[in-house]
Amino acid sequence: MPDTSTGVVVIGGGSTGAGVLRDLTLRGIEAVLVEKGDLASGTTGRSHGLLHSGGRYCVNDEQAAIECVEEGRILRRIARSTVEDTGGYFVSVTEEDHEWEPRFVEGCRRTGITCERLSLDEARRREPALSRQVRTVFWVPEDGHLDPFYLVVGNVESARRRGARVMTHTEVIGFLRDGDRLTGVRIKDSKTNEEASIACQSVINATGAWSGLVARLLGVEVKVVPVKGTMVVLSRRLAHAAINRCHKPGDGDIVVPGLSVSILGTTSAKVAHPETLPIEWDEVRRMIEEGAMMLDGVTTARAMRAYAGVRPLYDLGAEAEGREMSRNFAVIDHQVRDGITGFTSIVGGKVTTYRLMAERVVDVAARHLGVRTPCTTAEVPLNDREEPLDQLRHRPSLLGVPKPHGDEPPLQPLLCECELVRPQDVAPWLKDPAVRDLEDVRRRTRSGMGPCQAAICSYRLAARLVSDRGLDGASATRAMADFLETRWRGVRHVFWGSQLRNMQVTTGLHMELYNVDRELMLQHSPPPLAGEGQGGGRGAEPAEVGAQR
Amino acid sequence: MITEEFEPTTDTVEEEASVEACTKCTACNTVCPVARSTDIFRGPKALGPDMERFRSPQEAAVTPGLDLCSGCKLCEVTCPSQVSIQEYIRRAQNQGAREKGRSLRDWVLGRTRLLGRLGSMTAPLANFGNSNPLFRVLMERFVGIHRRRPLPKYQWLTFERWFKRHPRPVKSRRKVAYFYGCWVNYNDRRLGERAVAILERNGIEVVVPHQQCCGIPAVVNSNMDLARRYGQQNVRHLTPVAQEMDIVASSTSCGLMLKHDYGHLLDIPGSERLGAKTYDIMEYLWMLHEAGELDTDFQTVPMRLLYHAPCHLKSHGIGYPAMRLLRLIPGVKLEEVDEGCCGISGTFGVKVEKYDLSMKIGRRLFDAVKAAGSDYVLADCETCRMQVEHGAGATSAHPLEILAKAYGHG
Ligand SMILES: Cc1cc2nc3c(=O)[nH]c(=O)nc-3n(C[C@H](O)[C@H](O)[C@H](O)COP(=O)(O)OP(=O)(O)OC[C@H]3O[C@@H](n4cnc5c(N)ncnc54)[C@H](O)[C@@H]3O)c2cc1C
Ligand code: SF4
Ligand code: SF4
Ligand code: SF4
Repeated sequence: MPDTSTGVVVIGGGSTGAGVLRDLTLRGIEAVLVEKGDLASGTTGRSHGLLHSGGRYCVNDEQAAIECVEEGRILRRIARSTVEDTGGYFVSVTEEDHEWEPRFVEGCRRTGITCERLSLDEARRREPALSRQVRTVFWVPEDGHLDPFYLVVGNVESARRRGARVMTHTEVIGFLRDGDRLTGVRIKDSKTNEEASIACQSVINATGAWSGLVARLLGVEVKVVPVKGTMVVLSRRLAHAAINRCHKPGDGDIVVPGLSVSILGTTSAKVAHPETLPIEWDEVRRMIEEGAMMLDGVTTARAMRAYAGVRPLYDLGAEAEGREMSRNFAVIDHQVRDGITGFTSIVGGKVTTYRLMAERVVDVAARHLGVRTPCTTAEVPLNDREEPLDQLRHRPSLLGVPKPHGDEPPLQPLLCECELVRPQDVAPWLKDPAVRDLEDVRRRTRSGMGPCQAAICSYRLAARLVSDRGLDGASATRAMADFLETRWRGVRHVFWGSQLRNMQVTTGLHMELYNVDRELMLQHSPPPLAGEGQGGGRGAEPAEVGAQR
Repeated sequence: MITEEFEPTTDTVEEEASVEACTKCTACNTVCPVARSTDIFRGPKALGPDMERFRSPQEAAVTPGLDLCSGCKLCEVTCPSQVSIQEYIRRAQNQGAREKGRSLRDWVLGRTRLLGRLGSMTAPLANFGNSNPLFRVLMERFVGIHRRRPLPKYQWLTFERWFKRHPRPVKSRRKVAYFYGCWVNYNDRRLGERAVAILERNGIEVVVPHQQCCGIPAVVNSNMDLARRYGQQNVRHLTPVAQEMDIVASSTSCGLMLKHDYGHLLDIPGSERLGAKTYDIMEYLWMLHEAGELDTDFQTVPMRLLYHAPCHLKSHGIGYPAMRLLRLIPGVKLEEVDEGCCGISGTFGVKVEKYDLSMKIGRRLFDAVKAAGSDYVLADCETCRMQVEHGAGATSAHPLEILAKAYGHG
């Protein structure tokens, strides 16, 4: 891996880092994004996927609510391909919820959130699955589904088209400095362990829950508290819109419609390290019970997997000084606070407000670099060819119309039959050096995210690795086994009913028919998709890596 | 009565929606006759449970290629997880038709009663037209009925009217109600006469209650509302009858509607009671035999027979009672041609855009029938019989015909 140089190094490929990269690029600043896993493999890809209207925060956190309102409107303009305009309901179930209602209505009014009370009949007509326990329903049209993967990839691709570079599976392991001035970062390829340097004028630390750990490499402190949240994915859309409990934000009180699935969430518990995310059976059970209070069919739906993410909650206490903004995210100018030139951190926040967060942190970094170009991310759309995300809901209609006449060419086969992923959806990514394993393909295409959890598409994708990427059979098989293994980590938390039976089919198919044994492969073959250089090294997994979405 | 008291069965899957029970095993795809015959059909797994996840009442997401499903239900029969695959496809087809409207042809084909009435009233004329090449060219052009597809002949005297004049037997051990269906009424009265004769020979008085078309032609032509209306009428007329006696049907698909689809596909309340008392006629006769009540005083019938099991018979889940029964007859040499769907699937293979596909699906069956040679190819389903005659040039018959011969009715 050669040494390189650039203007700004962005550490972290979540929504924040991706937004920062794009913002920099639009201001004409040369930048490289360095991410130790894949894009959106941190908190972003493990978030709930709600585009917050702000309704959830309008009572307790007005500032955050107002930001959500504004950003939501901007995203609907600039990022149509990542937002599904589902609208949302706030529903009261208990007497306590009922008492919260006037405060909620007042909060919406103060923060400018559109909110309309519906009669129960009307609400049930629109959303037949609303539970019988629901007593009051508010329609909040600006709730939506924000697909975290498409959002991050969309931002990064937009920046790449304008010349930015991205390095995935590359970890920042140290900093280069010249006295109090930061002059670059040391990086390491997470798959091959190769190391190199990137010289730069400025570094933006956008590592969310990891920002404290990254700052510590430089000897400065950023106080983030990693707070874990667990979510359960149901295999179908039970409701068309997002369903929120109308009460003081608590556990398990949102059901997000995510394209083809429903996601129940979430919990909240402090953890020691952002990568220690065990999922407890009790959490899974609680998500289902809470969800069932708002929606019928939650308890009898097929749970597909559970996953957990870690919130980068920013500890306000000590950080009053270098902090530039709002109550729920903070820009830390380490030049002002710690006397280190060329280092800025951005922590906290939400996916919904990623653009604003990026704008604020880049404002600071650009000022230090002497760049005066203003931020344009609120105006320039993400994609050159805008397709609304809703189209993905209609994947079936993209599959072409066959007619039983004459000699039409055969239908193109699907790679992932559950999520209707076509070969042409996958092909470009197999050419992208930033895509290093099948999980990376999944994040960009949804392949493997359906009920069978990659039982079928895994081997088709493995075959593509051979045909499109020139892998040998053993490495492709190993890539397939790794992919199944990461899927499995999430599925094992919901082992009952159909998902259990499905995994029985998967096991039969892969372990008995194909004789795939990952443990054996770990011993005998190099890791798949490794570049040149030292192989090996990824045998043992970290003690408990939480399941991914 | 030979029937047990009706007991509702409980589902063995935990999940409420059967779409969620799909384990993506792909077994359904391996048996789908359409998927086997053309590369442009995605198959039951894709069009059923897979796409169903993308459908919702708010947004149909009508899938391209849905109309290529012939409705044979073999996928459902095969699915180890009891997914109502074809039901999902049907509902989506229906929603598509509701949004986009149906063709005149599909409107007409869904109304076999109307067709039957017109056809039998004008029998000689209708039959002349249906076999006149020039008229058929026009029909293909303007209605969309393939010119080479032979259409059934209409008869002037309907079964209903024949039965009114039919003398009741003097004494009987039990009664049974006969659901004759449009085919027997307008096209093949003789089959109905045979059914009545065989039942009466076994000491059973046949009752013919007021009835409507079973609704399957409407279902397969994406008009579930019409089918439901027919179904509701039948449930209203037949449920009181079913409290007193069993109901038998001599058409496989009619029987399946009464037994199963009224309750499942069409959600007609109270239809389970009717369903529980409905039998395929061969099934019923076999049950009589098992109860020791069937007259097995058969004459020798020295014939080589082939049996084709209709797809919808497989959906009944009763095995092949016709084969079991006919093997009781001395002289009968009976073989099953186990070559899958014949391809016509009711009105599917009649349509101009599906005729070729329908013939392609049936080719394996036709070849096997031609190679084996036989006096008759037997099938319980009338459109199967039409297709085998057309595709294999064989003579076909309902198994009842052979039973009738064994009883000496010609
Ligand atoms: C359970 C849960 C549900 C949520 N739901 C929602 C929601 O519905 N709507 C919403 O708007 N927000 C939601 N959020 C909040 C939102 O997900 C986060 O605030 C947001 O994703 C943070 O993005 P980020 O880019 O700052 O962090 P991350 O996405 O975590 O990105 C940081 C990246 O830095 C990388 N990294 C770390 N160390 C290094 C290193 N040394 N070198 C290179 N890379 C490194 C990590 O691998 C990671 O990918 C939720 C959060 C949680 C936990
Ligand atoms: S009903 Fe028949 S044609 Fe339709 S999908 Fe099922 S097997 Fe195929
Ligand atoms: S046979 Fe049943 S379980 Fe198997 S793929 Fe088809 S629908 Fe799913
Ligand atoms: S006509 Fe006969 S063989 Fe053919 S679909 Fe019906 S039942 Fe199948």
